[in-house]
Amino acid sequence: MDEIINEAIRKFQKELNSGTAALALLGVLDKAEKPMYGYQIAKIIEGRTGDVDIMKQGALYPVLRSLEGTGLLESEVEPSVAGPPRRYYKITESGRKTLAKWVEVWRQTSDFVNAILKGGNHD
Amino acid sequence: MINSIEAYLAELKKELSRSDRATVQDALSDAEEYLRTALNSAREAAPGVPEAEALAGIIGRYGSPGEVAAAYKEIESRTPPSYAQAAMKPAAAPVQIGAVDAAPVAAPAVAARPFYARFFGIFGDVRAWGALLYLLFAMGTGIIYFTWAVTGLSVSAGLLVLIVGIPIFALFLLSVRGIALVEGRLVEALIGVRMPRRPLFSRRDIGWWQKMKNLFAERQTWTTILYMLLQMPLGIIYFSIIVALVSSSVWLIGRPIWELGFGEPFYIISPYAYYTPGWLMPIVMIGGVLLLTATMHVAKYIGRLHGNFAKVMLVRE
Repeated sequence: MDEIINEAIRKFQKELNSGTAALALLGVLDKAEKPMYGYQIAKIIEGRTGDVDIMKQGALYPVLRSLEGTGLLESEVEPSVAGPPRRYYKITESGRKTLAKWVEVWRQTSDFVNAILKGGNHD
Repeated sequence: MINSIEAYLAELKKELSRSDRATVQDALSDAEEYLRTALNSAREAAPGVPEAEALAGIIGRYGSPGEVAAAYKEIESRTPPSYAQAAMKPAAAPVQIGAVDAAPVAAPAVAARPFYARFFGIFGDVRAWGALLYLLFAMGTGIIYFTWAVTGLSVSAGLLVLIVGIPIFALFLLSVRGIALVEGRLVEALIGVRMPRRPLFSRRDIGWWQKMKNLFAERQTWTTILYMLLQMPLGIIYFSIIVALVSSSVWLIGRPIWELGFGEPFYIISPYAYYTPGWLMPIVMIGGVLLLTATMHVAKYIGRLHGNFAKVMLVRE
């Protein structure tokens, strides 16, 4: 029984994350003053959300790449002193426009779900 | 229990063993960037903590190899290997909500177009133009690669009896790896076959001598050299095919200009010169247009074949 519930939780979380990860990443990069690399972005998200651990930081990287693939982000590689070369991401103009729309959609979605969950009596 | 970055990367690679090779390489370099940066800052914050212990915490936040591999597979299954489909319909492309998922939906729309639209639509296909350009360039890059490979091999072989031959050979092998990456970028940009976007990660736990031995023992190093040698004859063949087809098309399409404007005959069997009869002129021109369109398809097709060939030769298993 627990097995089924855990699987359901995991699946639900995964499905939600596939949309919200992209929104969160665009949100972080929209506020960023300079291009940032994956680790920095992950740390900023960790710093803001603290204990809320719903997404592995490793799962952010493929989303960054796919956002770049669709043209919402752009990136360049720079060598680093301390390790392998780093890929620095920054948001594009169409990324900013998309983000504004996504935020709107996100508000509507969360209002929609909240309104239903808050419920009240059906009678 | 994973107690080094190398072990983590090896594990991740195993998890991704069924995935596209280029994805594997990208996943490995992403993971390496994160883990090394995190480990460095953990060391600065708490120098006393043993590496394995610090790493356990970092991996807890980054995700286990299985989790990370699942994330890459998930994204890979939603994104087409090339941007070909996005490029096919630039008008419909303005990023909408869920643009990430839009690509698989776009594919049937492209396939459903009538035959003539698909045949002539090739002129709007970025991939066909890219492949055409690549096939023309391939002769130039082929000559450069061939010269570099032959020079590198023969100079190192000649000097191998002296000690200086060894470092020269090592440098040559390193340059081969760099060329594999650059050629891969060229192939992906122009042909659209997914190739690695980041250099291979370098292991930190082994000395440079071991690294050299690995470089020497790796299949990819030798197939890249073979690729560099083959690129010249292939490049010449590609160039000849494309130039022959394009110039034949232009020759056919321009019939009225060549014949009526410049008085050039269609063909000559001495002492007679033959001109195209008037009624045949439109048909000949249409033939030229069809040939030019077919040339674009040929270019795209050869480009794709070459892209797959390059992937086999240049990307590590």
